[in-house]
Parts: sequence; C-alpha cells; structure tokens
Amino acid sequence: MTEILTFLGKEDQYEKYELFFGPNHPGMHGNFSYILTVEGHTIKKVDPDPGLLHRGFEKLAERRKWMQNIALIPRICVPEPDINEVIYSIAVEKLMGIEVPIRAQYIRTIILEMARLGAFLFGFGGIGGATGLYTASYWTNADRDYLLDLFEWLSGARVYHMFIVPGGVRRDLPSGWIEKLSETVDYLQKRLYEYDRLIYNNPLIVKRLKGIGKLTKEEAIEYGITGPNLRATGVKYDTRKMVPYAAYNKIDFEIPIQSEGDGLARAIQRREEFQLSLDIIRKAIKDLPDGPVRLKMPNPLKFNVPKGEVYVKIESARGEHAYYIVSNGKDKPYRMAVRGGSYTAGLVLAQKILVGMRIEDVALWMATMDICPPDFDR
Amino acid sequence: MEQKDLIESIEKNFKYKKEIKVIDGKQFIVTVEKDKVLNILSFLKLIDFKQLALITAVDWIDEKKFEIVYVLFSYSHIQQVLVKTFVERDNPQVETVKNLWDVASMYERDVHEFFGIDFVGNDDLRPLILHNWKDLPPLRKDFDSLKYSNKMFGKFKKDEEL
Repeated sequence: MTEILTFLGKEDQYEKYELFFGPNHPGMHGNFSYILTVEGHTIKKVDPDPGLLHRGFEKLAERRKWMQNIALIPRICVPEPDINEVIYSIAVEKLMGIEVPIRAQYIRTIILEMARLGAFLFGFGGIGGATGLYTASYWTNADRDYLLDLFEWLSGARVYHMFIVPGGVRRDLPSGWIEKLSETVDYLQKRLYEYDRLIYNNPLIVKRLKGIGKLTKEEAIEYGITGPNLRATGVKYDTRKMVPYAAYNKIDFEIPIQSEGDGLARAIQRREEFQLSLDIIRKAIKDLPDGPVRLKMPNPLKFNVPKGEVYVKIESARGEHAYYIVSNGKDKPYRMAVRGGSYTAGLVLAQKILVGMRIEDVALWMATMDICPPDFDR
Repeated sequence: MEQKDLIESIEKNFKYKKEIKVIDGKQFIVTVEKDKVLNILSFLKLIDFKQLALITAVDWIDEKKFEIVYVLFSYSHIQQVLVKTFVERDNPQVETVKNLWDVASMYERDVHEFFGIDFVGNDDLRPLILHNWKDLPPLRKDFDSLKYSNKMFGKFKKDEEL
C-alpha cells in the first residue's frame, strides 16, 4: 500500500496523480472505489478496487439449509432484493421438478416489477445527484417510499421481504392490497410525467448525458453488458420475453429499445422501462387468477434437493442477475455462484471506457450504467 | 438454430472427447478435457455464443477435483451453454481465455482468489476482493470459516464466561 501515492516522490511527476474515487466520494454509489490515475482533469488509468462490501454470501449459503437461505440471499442486492429470492426459488423448483401455482406466478411477477420500479427510481435519483439536480433524488426517494409501504403491508418488511419461497409465495395478498397497488401505480404514472419535465426534458441533463460512455452493440455484447444498458445500444433482447419465468409468458408486452447507446439513451431507456413496468403491473392485476399460492412442501428444515445443477437468470433493473446452483442431494446447497448484473460493466468496461473522460463524468457514467457494488462483492 | 441443431453441430465439428447433457429447452452442458477448453470456447464463440456470462468453479473435495464452469449465451439462438471442465485439486491449472473475452480476465482473477486455481497466461491475478488474505482460498471446501473466525477475532464467549 505504501507504493500507491508515490508518483511525486518517485518520478518527480507533478501533472500525474492518483485519485481515490470512493468509497468516501460523494459521487460514489456505495462501498466501492476506483483508483484513478489522472493528468489534469483527464483520466489516464482506472483500477477498480472492490472488496469493501464483501460479506461472503456464497460461502455462507453453503452452510445453511435450503430454506434458511431465503433469509440470507435478499441481502446480496440492496436496491432490488426480490430478484434474489425469485432466482433462488426458481432454481430450487427446477432442481426438484415442481410447478408453482399460477396465482403465485402472477404475484411473483407483480412483486418483481414493483422492485424494478423501486430500483429505477433510485437510478433516476442517481442521475439527478450526479448532475447537481438534487430535487430529482428527493422526489424519487419519496416516491419509492410508497412502494415500500406496500411491501411492508404485504410482508412486514420494507426492504428485505423474504416473501417469495420455493413452492410459491409465503401467503396470499391481503384484502385491499391490490386496490392500493392500483392507486400507487396510477400515482407513479402521474409522477412519471413530472419526471419527464424535471429530468428527461431538462436541457441541462440532456446536454450533460449526451455522448457519455457511448457503446456499440458489439462492444456491449462482448463486455457482457445486459439489461437496459444493452437495449439502449439497440439489441432487442429481454430475458422476460425471450426466456420467460414467473408469469411473463402470459403477459403481452413490447420491448422498448434505443439506438445511440450513450448516457442519454440509457437514461431514456430506463424511463421507457419504468413505463413498461407500470404497464406490466396493470396487466398482471387485471389477469390475476384465483387459486392456491403455495405448494405443500416438505418440512422446511428437513428437505433435500435432488442432485443437479442449474443456471437461472432473470432480468433485474441492472441486467442479467443470475445464480449457478449445484446440489449434491443433501439438505444444503453445495455451491451457489452469483452473477451480478453490473459486474462486468463496473469492473471491466470501466477500465476501458473511463479512460479519456473527465473526473466529473465518472459519477455520471456510473449513474447511467447503474453500477451497483453489491454485484461485485457478493 | 434450435438446441437440437446446435448440439448436432457441436457433435459433428468438435472432434475431441466431450459429454453433452441437456438441462432444459434453453440450457445445456458440454463437458470437455481441460486442455480443450480454449478449443470449445472459441468454437462456440464462432457459432455466435458471444456473451461470456460467468466463470466460476466448484470444489469437489471428495473426488479431489475442481470443476470450472464457463457460462455462455447466444443472443441469436437464445440458448445458454455451460462449458465444464475438471482440474486436479493438487495442481489446479487451466489455460486462460482472456484472449477470447476481455471480461474473462476479471472472472479468472475472482476464481483465482476464491479457489486458488491458476489460469496460465493471465498475468493479472492480483487479489481483488479480499484484503491481506493469508489463509486458504475461502471458497474451498476445506476452509473452515469458524476456525478462521476464532483465530482472527478470538473465540466466541458464552454469556456466563463474560
């Protein structure tokens, strides 16, 4: 560690210096750091330094029973925890070869889309924060609270819900919840037009985001960029549509795409997908079937999952979030590997694309790419 | 291409020893020898498996082997393929694939740190996530996290001992 800050001493260098962008930098999203080598204002080299948030989930999961892990895994991803429960449950169901009741599938879809809305609201706020438009982050965080209220009513918890379990969902929706959800969706729809006026039609934001971190289709695929960032470059692929899970195969929707692949396109793509999530929730509420919500499963502390392995991925707000789960037929997972949605963007693409940018662009680039440190430090 | 045709194409064009297993309609596994990993991956990249989604490993301690898993995806065939290979646990070495994908380098660094597997040809295997780690690589099955915790942070005291 002593070698790091010695450009001045070693090479008599005055123009070039190292800047620790994070973990205490106001533009940094969470506990993560880029060590930037900077000349004047221009970035010359980027060295990502994750590890400040590492909690060893992959190891912890190996020591807990299949059901106990439900309490652990939502904590992997802070802004959008429900995706973890769903992937894990789908993986267990696939390995056990069971089919979840249709009502539970719809409830899962609604919850996933609500979590997605919450994550997008965080993202909009991030763009506001990085451009000095703090109103955006105040508004979005306040609106996200309405979603958290609904989650609290549903599961008793605001952030980590632990509501989705292998075999379905924990319990049926409380009476009156759907009506409240419809109201919230309508409210968010109204607010989206306000966001248009505040953020997306704001000349300052448009000018600032234009051209930031431009990516082509080929580059995006090569670097493993997924989700809204990939669609912003023009690739018409959405896991919800192409490899459907939950009830997405029963809901009809169109995938929005952009073509420019720069910061502005990514921001607008997220705005379009916010609209899409609202639409999907509306459709899911309309079609919500009756029936049981949870299968009869074996004793939660005593069930074994048959031998096998499976890679399950779903569409999170940051892209492809996936688990690779291996079972050896015992009562605990043998191995659980996590692929975070922004892993490759934050650790690999950053090393290439940030070079030549200015220091103040880093936070903005991270906001438009939705870089999330829990994806690196599982 | 459908999964059936893809598997047929692999059977026909990839001559070395392999084993193909279908998980479901969108996913299948190809297991190869460890010195043929590069061949199969470059072949798959050629038939449009352009995205490298993950490189990870599994510690099969009873069989004294590490299993290395490469997860690829194709946006045109909408198929996920898991390429697997086994390396000896005493001498875990496999060739790097960083020349095929830039992102491989970071995944290999990750796996190297958590399993101690050497990726020959990858010169950037610096520690990534763990700081000042001096013990066994932590995701190996013989790493005892309780023992490590007791050693590093002192034994957990019961209430009456305090």
